[in-house]
Amino acid sequence: MLDWIGPAMVIAAKDLRLEMRTKSILSSVGLFALLVVVVASFSFPATGAGKNGVAAGLLWMSFLFSSLLGMGRSFSLEDEEACIEGLMASPAPRESIYLGKLLANLLFIGAVEAVVLPAFLILFQLEPGRGIPLLALTAFLGTLGIVALGTLFSAMAVKTRTREAILPLLVMPLCVPIVIAAVKATETALGGAALSASASWLYLLAGFDALLVTVGLAAFPYVLDE
Amino acid sequence: MSSRVDEATAGAGDGRDVGRQTATRWRRRALGFGTLVGLGVLVWAAFAYAPQDIKQGPSQRIFYIHVPSAWIAFLAFAVVFGASIAFLATRNHRWDQVAVSSAEIGTVFTTAVLVTGPLWARPVWGVYWSWDPRLTSVLVLWLIYLSYLALRGYVVEPDRRARFSAVLGIVGFLDVPIVYLSVRWWRALHPNYVVLARGGPQMPGAMLATLMIGIAAFTLLYLYLMALRLRVERLRANDLEERP
Amino acid sequence: MSLAPLGISLERVVKRFGPEIALLDIDLEIPQGSYVAVMGPNGAGKTTLLKVIAGLARPTSGHVSLAGVRLSDAGPGLRALVGFLGHESMLYPDLTGLENLMFHARLHRLAEPRKAALETAGLLEVETDLSRPVGSLSRGMRQRVAIARAVIHQPRVLLMDEPYTGLDEHAAASLASLLQRLHTPERTVVVTIHEISRALAGPERIVALAGGRIAMDVTTFEEHERISGEYLSLLARGGER
Repeated sequence: MLDWIGPAMVIAAKDLRLEMRTKSILSSVGLFALLVVVVASFSFPATGAGKNGVAAGLLWMSFLFSSLLGMGRSFSLEDEEACIEGLMASPAPRESIYLGKLLANLLFIGAVEAVVLPAFLILFQLEPGRGIPLLALTAFLGTLGIVALGTLFSAMAVKTRTREAILPLLVMPLCVPIVIAAVKATETALGGAALSASASWLYLLAGFDALLVTVGLAAFPYVLDE
Repeated sequence: MSSRVDEATAGAGDGRDVGRQTATRWRRRALGFGTLVGLGVLVWAAFAYAPQDIKQGPSQRIFYIHVPSAWIAFLAFAVVFGASIAFLATRNHRWDQVAVSSAEIGTVFTTAVLVTGPLWARPVWGVYWSWDPRLTSVLVLWLIYLSYLALRGYVVEPDRRARFSAVLGIVGFLDVPIVYLSVRWWRALHPNYVVLARGGPQMPGAMLATLMIGIAAFTLLYLYLMALRLRVERLRANDLEERP
Repeated sequence: MSLAPLGISLERVVKRFGPEIALLDIDLEIPQGSYVAVMGPNGAGKTTLLKVIAGLARPTSGHVSLAGVRLSDAGPGLRALVGFLGHESMLYPDLTGLENLMFHARLHRLAEPRKAALETAGLLEVETDLSRPVGSLSRGMRQRVAIARAVIHQPRVLLMDEPYTGLDEHAAASLASLLQRLHTPERTVVVTIHEISRALAGPERIVALAGGRIAMDVTTFEEHERISGEYLSLLARGGER
């Protein structure tokens, strides 16, 4: 299992290099995430008593949709010029390909979130204060789950007739637990609560993430091998 | 009509094939008959045998369709899960046929749950939908079923379609319990949500018996529909193979 | 360190894509150091044959072995012995040639990725174009970089699917002499070729597929006219299932 890590890092590094060159994912995903937050805030004004709840929901809608966009794009780059076959013909285990793409996706989406989150706090006039660690941890755990699912299914999506368009159909029903847990924990965080206040939601996220990554590792070879 | 199709396929094989197909046909007919009987008994039990619920009145009887449908919805998905694993392990397309058949039938039963639930809730509680954890989990299950069928529709090549569906079937099945857990915790934070009780803390014996009859009858119905659907799937597969 | 004989062996290989049969009952032995041309009409299964040997496609039934080890039993490490070039370049268009080559060198855990990339590029005569994004290179140049990618790890089995397609005479002759150089007693070369004259001018053996089966398997040392005629009549028969 340890020999999955080396090739995974090589693949993730390649994805980073590619993205630094083109910035195609970061720019489109980043802009999209920001747009969702801004436009949605016109549709659902977050004011008054339920403000934290509405804001948390909007934030996660933005993260979810932009993650799906980014992951679809990431795998379509492998489909161009049959690069995925180049990976499959190398001695890198299939699991490394999954881990490498997962890591790269996580980094890209994490980078986008690192920019969108402060903007979001400012736009909604939120000051989580002591809730920041909870906010950050929730963002990480929630994103990890979405990326674990999305990396697995985007490998499938590129081979379908509608390509990346089918990715939301496949991932969204499956990520309901992630959305529920992440929004609840985020809402609590926005109210300034510490980590312990949302312990059960965090455990749910962490446990579900572990399950998703494990299943992703096990299922990925079946998706790739023709 | 079904016997004509049977005769057409019977002519294709040798004597042993004919014998086997005849036996299968009779098993299927027995299953169909059993289903009819079971459903008949259920109708009688639901309307005549089971007592009327004191609080909810006659509309409570829809429960005898609602709960068995939910049972089958989850049973069918468990079959999809098992068949998906079996397919990936053996690469035998028969398992894929089982998976898709169960998924289609499961979707129908899940729809039945989602229709009978609100129909029951409205006269009793005044709202059609209350985000009850069980019903909400069924809603998500329904969406997963639909995404399964959508995926199959968008992948042309049969091997790939079977592989991809199998992965989705496995991930989806593992997902559902977590969905239920998260929805339950979520709703527990809102104490004034409406609970669709199963008939009170203690169900009278007759109600329980009717429920059991319902579950048994619906299981027979599921098996019968599976037999019919699998036959269509096998005919389709054979048809494709014989084409030059 | 002695190198074990690295032959390719296919036993009763069948490959189906749903109802479509791509390969049927393929029994094939290719000893180490062979130089084989795989030929046949379109849709005969040539690409599938190469992909099955490269481990990119799993046989529906039957076994593929390298050096006596079945691919289905072997771990991913066995793929280090094989170099594969398909119809597409497997190069990221936005990365430079050097970056693409170094990426593959690292995937293959080569000790000095940069050195290997530069050396292989030199062998393919593309060392001057390595700093440009691959997408901006001409087709011929890109193909050379693609070949460099396929051989950078010094594979002992080289599989190339229709490398001559779209090349002009000069480039084709250049490729032919490159393959001749790459073909050593330690390295097996299997190439898909369309032109019979090309197949007779370098490879030692021609395996022709038709309808997923092996229809012809001859050595090319003599009787070029007879072989040519036999192949052309194979094509004329249509070879379609």
